[in-house]
Amino acid sequence: MSKLGVFDLSVRYGKVPALNDVTLHLQEGERVFVSGPNGAGKSSLLGAISGAVATSHGRIEMDGDLLTGRAPEAIARLGLSMVPEGREIFGSLTVEENLRVGTGLRRDRGAVEGDIAEIYDAFPILGDRRHASAGALSGGQQQMLAIGRALMTNPKLMMVDEPSLGLAPKIVDQVYDTLVQLQEERGLTLLIVEQSSTRAARVGGRMILLRGGSVVGDGDASAFAEKDLLSEAYFGQSKLEVAQ
Amino acid sequence: MTSLAQLFFDAVSLGGIYAMAALGIALIFGVMNLVNFAHGEYIAFCVFALIVPSTEAVAVMFLGKAPAFLLIPLLLMIGAGAAMLSEYVVFRHLRRATPVAMMISSFALGFVIQNALLATYGGRPKAISLWPELNTPVAILGAEVPLLQLIVILSTLLVVGALALLLKKTRLGLEMRAAAENFTMARLLGVRANVVITGAFALSGALAAAVALIMATQTGVADVRMGGQIMLVAFIATVIGGLGSLPGAVAAGFLIGAASILLQAFLPLEVRPFRDAFLYTLVIASLLLRPQGLFVPSSAKPRI
Repeated sequence: MSKLGVFDLSVRYGKVPALNDVTLHLQEGERVFVSGPNGAGKSSLLGAISGAVATSHGRIEMDGDLLTGRAPEAIARLGLSMVPEGREIFGSLTVEENLRVGTGLRRDRGAVEGDIAEIYDAFPILGDRRHASAGALSGGQQQMLAIGRALMTNPKLMMVDEPSLGLAPKIVDQVYDTLVQLQEERGLTLLIVEQSSTRAARVGGRMILLRGGSVVGDGDASAFAEKDLLSEAYFGQSKLEVAQ
Repeated sequence: MTSLAQLFFDAVSLGGIYAMAALGIALIFGVMNLVNFAHGEYIAFCVFALIVPSTEAVAVMFLGKAPAFLLIPLLLMIGAGAAMLSEYVVFRHLRRATPVAMMISSFALGFVIQNALLATYGGRPKAISLWPELNTPVAILGAEVPLLQLIVILSTLLVVGALALLLKKTRLGLEMRAAAENFTMARLLGVRANVVITGAFALSGALAAAVALIMATQTGVADVRMGGQIMLVAFIATVIGGLGSLPGAVAAGFLIGAASILLQAFLPLEVRPFRDAFLYTLVIASLLLRPQGLFVPSSAKPRI
């Protein structure tokens, strides 16, 4: 059984289709990138999995539990966490309060303090500014806070929407280093939206290519980077299949 | 001649009532973008809960006979219960509705409550006497102030302080603040929408009950229409304070109370009957100058 299974998923906004019959699977502990041009349906896919976007057809399963039709908070309770596009930090809360919002669903309340200390170990700058307003953090720091906040729900599967958006390349390297390290420590399964195939190849992992709401490629990220299949997806050509 | 101290106590106690009513509206607006126009009717409902249901002209105290240490928590619970019930029966089914549809529904709910009160208690205002001894004046700072006024000021501070503590220090408070800023994100982190919204309604209803207690003691009247006027002022306070901003609602409540008392004291006698026209002119001026609200920090982003 796969960690996450998406079967014939369709999403539409009114009459505008965003995803058409998308099927994909993630294995336990896997790192998968989702890429594709604007409007390909990347964020709709993450939204549908997290329960924030209504699906019109198909089903989504995590560890055999049906996610479709559940409220976002119920899906979060099953062990799915999200670092959304634009980070969506609670700017009026302090850094530490941001980290605590997602701990209400946990049964192991005793472990929360230790986990917060762990986040501060991984991101010392967050520890230094724990009582500062989160809205005052820089973009890179907010990205780290969003990752830390998502981790505080103690997820099994974490989705990260465009972690590189609006960040300097050096900071992006840092963010990915931390993500990879955290994944190895915790055995997380990661689903990451990333526009750059070279970046994805450097980090390493599988890559799924979306175009026009459909899956048009699925394979190792390095293969995409070499063949630059992305540009074909961007500029629109025949359906691509990369070695599965 | 009224002394400055007298004016001060008048302004702060009236402002305190407005602030509590405004908080009740701002709490709910914060978490679900609903301006609950039934809030005034929660207040009237709580006042009428003090007396025996009957259409007789003379009011017989019912809950109002209970000693204060029982009456106050009971009435707060009744207010909270009424508000939670209205959420469960009406607003829960409108979660995906537009803010306008929700607002209209809150008007409808208000009329339902008002007419239920009319049918049960009759339309004539009734004299009630709740804690009449509180209206005895005490001398303080050279002013003669009814004891109640001091109690109102103290209880406003107590209520606002307790609410601030609850929002700052408890799990529910944290979730409510997170949800008020970004509801979807809070839910993605496992915050239960129903818990947060029910909590906001409960607090809002308890605030309505607190206002009801003060109004009943101060005016000595139970009137089916008594919620309308205070609701209007409280709504204006939440708008001036910046919709959804709790400190803004409190500050604007006090501001309107103060402005109202100062106009009453210093307007020339011949125009004093038109005090409210002056008051609302000030409201318009404030909205023209700061349409986003007086107390909204410039860093605040528009809500989507």
